[in-house]
Amino acid sequence: MKNPFSFGRRLYETPFRLPRLRPYVPKADDPAIYWFNGERDSIVGDVISRVTANAARSESALELALNDAAFNEIRRLSSQRDTEAETQLPIFKSLAKRLSKMSDTEKQTAARKVVSKYARDIAGNFDPRVYQISEHAVPRMLTGLLRPSALPVALSPGADQSALSDLLQVDGNIEHLRKLEKTGTLVFVPTHSSNLDSIVLGRALQLSGLSPVVYGAGKNLFTNPIISFFMHNLGAYRVDRRIRARLYKDTLKMYSQVMIERGYHSLFFPGGTRSRSNLTETRLKLGLAGSAVNAFSRNRVRGVDRNVYFVPTTINYEIVLEGETLVEDWLKSEGKARYIITDDEFSRFDRWIAFFRKIVELRSACVIRFGTPLDPFGNPVSEDGLSITPSGGTIDPGTYVWRRGEAVEDRKRDAAFTSDLGDALVNAYRNETVLMPTSLVCHVLFRKLVQESPGLDLFARLRVRGETEFDRSELVRQVGQARDRLLELETSGGVKLSDPLRDSPDAIVDRALKILAGYHDRTAATQRAGKVIAEDPTLLLYYQNRMVPYALDVAEPGGEAAAQEIEAIGRAT
Amino acid sequence: MSKETIAILGSGSFGRALAACANRNGREVLLWSRKPKEVEGATVTTELSDCSQAELILAAVPSGYVGEIFSQLGKSLDGRHMLVHVSRGLVSDELTPISRVARELTPVRKTGALAGPLDADALREGTPCGAVIGSRFPEVCAATRDAIESDVLRVYDTTDVVGVEVASAMVGLFALAYGFAKGVGVEGAALSMFLTRAMAEAERVAPHLGADTKTLYGLAGMGDLFAVLGGDERPEVLLGEALAKGSSLKDAARAAAAHIEGLSIARRLVNFAQRRRLEVPITSSILSVIDGLSPSIALSRLMARPAGSE
Repeated sequence: MKNPFSFGRRLYETPFRLPRLRPYVPKADDPAIYWFNGERDSIVGDVISRVTANAARSESALELALNDAAFNEIRRLSSQRDTEAETQLPIFKSLAKRLSKMSDTEKQTAARKVVSKYARDIAGNFDPRVYQISEHAVPRMLTGLLRPSALPVALSPGADQSALSDLLQVDGNIEHLRKLEKTGTLVFVPTHSSNLDSIVLGRALQLSGLSPVVYGAGKNLFTNPIISFFMHNLGAYRVDRRIRARLYKDTLKMYSQVMIERGYHSLFFPGGTRSRSNLTETRLKLGLAGSAVNAFSRNRVRGVDRNVYFVPTTINYEIVLEGETLVEDWLKSEGKARYIITDDEFSRFDRWIAFFRKIVELRSACVIRFGTPLDPFGNPVSEDGLSITPSGGTIDPGTYVWRRGEAVEDRKRDAAFTSDLGDALVNAYRNETVLMPTSLVCHVLFRKLVQESPGLDLFARLRVRGETEFDRSELVRQVGQARDRLLELETSGGVKLSDPLRDSPDAIVDRALKILAGYHDRTAATQRAGKVIAEDPTLLLYYQNRMVPYALDVAEPGGEAAAQEIEAIGRAT
Repeated sequence: MSKETIAILGSGSFGRALAACANRNGREVLLWSRKPKEVEGATVTTELSDCSQAELILAAVPSGYVGEIFSQLGKSLDGRHMLVHVSRGLVSDELTPISRVARELTPVRKTGALAGPLDADALREGTPCGAVIGSRFPEVCAATRDAIESDVLRVYDTTDVVGVEVASAMVGLFALAYGFAKGVGVEGAALSMFLTRAMAEAERVAPHLGADTKTLYGLAGMGDLFAVLGGDERPEVLLGEALAKGSSLKDAARAAAAHIEGLSIARRLVNFAQRRRLEVPITSSILSVIDGLSPSIALSRLMARPAGSE
């Protein structure tokens, strides 16, 4: 049988771009990214020379870097057996053979070649026409697909409401971000649940009147031809997770750093990959965040006062497109889990249709919340872009990179700052998470399952199917009680609640059960004769995991032990 | 701002000793004291904001005052400042390290903790000794070394700042226990066993506070404990000994003539361990003795516990 992904694979190997007779000349008030195509060669050149110079800081370091690249690339390409392997494998094999005999100059030339290939492969494209299409035509097309009856309204001139605009709710101080994007570089750092995230976030930025961002997208996302086309032409740069060579990672980080230095608003997911468990991220991969901190220092050293503002963002879904595949992957023993999944729901068009059909009538099925922007040192930022201190005063963030009164670059110092920033982001994620009815209802059901199975470990519990049941009235009572606790927690800034969670407890339970039935292959919970039955503990666990940090806050009297067990899920993973 | 000036918070025995070390290195010292007083080799100020003139600030104040002092000081600091403390304290019920308090109450990120077999008299007199500076920022370690390291004071470094703080706090606590033991005449094998098991207890607690257990066996932990055993006149030992010999807590504290962090840490540590389901029998015994139990009874109760795997 012909490989169904071969078309997508061809697309990501040869990016499809719209033909253009004359290059687009950006207007003065266009967002920074409109300048990207004109600057691309200079950016790539800058990346190549800086990565090569870093690698060549000593002869032994250079040899090590080339050796590592040859070793890792031969291993990868040998198993890949595609057109890339055909052309690249001989190059790396020859490099491995000649390396010990090469002069320093030859090694530098070889490193430059390797880095050039990487940098050109990473760099993206930005086509303003595709951006216009994504802004206007796509939402209308999707509306037509999902709810044909709404199409005439969606297509009428001036209509900006589509079936999709109700689905997505954007929260946070957007005015603040609009001000900051004029004077500094915004770096959005969201939680990551689904491959839809970058698309949904892009849409949220459009709806909020914020500039488009550049971001690294895993090559696996380019397997969907439609998504691939948009990503190629909206400034996404390509990240090939299969490449393990140190030089590749350095090139990737440097690309991100150069983009931020030059003022391109950026996006990356500090969780690294989609949260398999649906737990909010607590352990971050800070490589790219580090590149943003380095960009800030370097600009200051060169006398450029453009600040970098991190925007911790939570992307909260009532139902997750790839939830079922992700949770299965999480539950597999850690060593066997696949880091790159190419055959999940995201690559199946029928699942997209089923997914959007499920949520199309719901308001706020996805809430994007932009948290308080932070400087690279974890301080909140004022309206005019200064860092706010704990006493409420403001300071120049540039002072953090001073030594004896002068701005200096220092990688180790910046790594320590980045680690502190990671703590601040984790904190922000917890406080800015927007809880949904599915999370809360699944939590109350899962909590009962835990109470009823004392001493069982997680995996044994996941085999308890259909045995835990609630009188619906009791479930509603417990959901109401937990919701009220969450409202209190919200007042002190500890969490956020989605609008549907402010409804009556009865409506919350109805909504959650309705959403959980019908999209996923398995049903998390069903309702029969006044009883609600926990059918699939795995899905319950997945959706309730968003509640883990607040389990103790919402525990019923006498239910502390179960709450502690649930809280421990967050510590164990 | 003069690059040669360092600021010291606190005019207690440690503050004065650090001033002497910095003087020895030819550094100007600006010392903040709550009340005006004379300190040899230092310009004394009662204005916390004056300390912002220095890039490096060494804090030698009891942990009970740290919150108030840092909040006030934080108003005049910014990103360039480095804040290093020498406290053995851990604050709040969650046993928060002082470096974290500094990050919460001031804009300073470049924080550090200095600990180890340091004795205020030895530092002042220039008797050879050593210390460890914990900081994730290499420039904090370098600046601290520049300020106080000399041919009579060796300063090692580690990136595990919390490890240094936890080790230092735990040894402060165990020095109290050593005082109790000394007061009732326990020595040799029994003492060695209890202090070794005490370190095992520290090893259980440390990861829960974010510390690397390896740091417990460096200068801030084991190194400091050896100094206690070696007969350094520690206020914790004096207090422990006085309590064991029947003095009231008030009289014993007067005999020690210093602020003993371990007294307040013991209770919070026992509660913390209970919440995390950790066994801390030695800390629990220290607490019972602080609360008035005779050290001999506490000791026999410890001896009666079943011994497990090491």
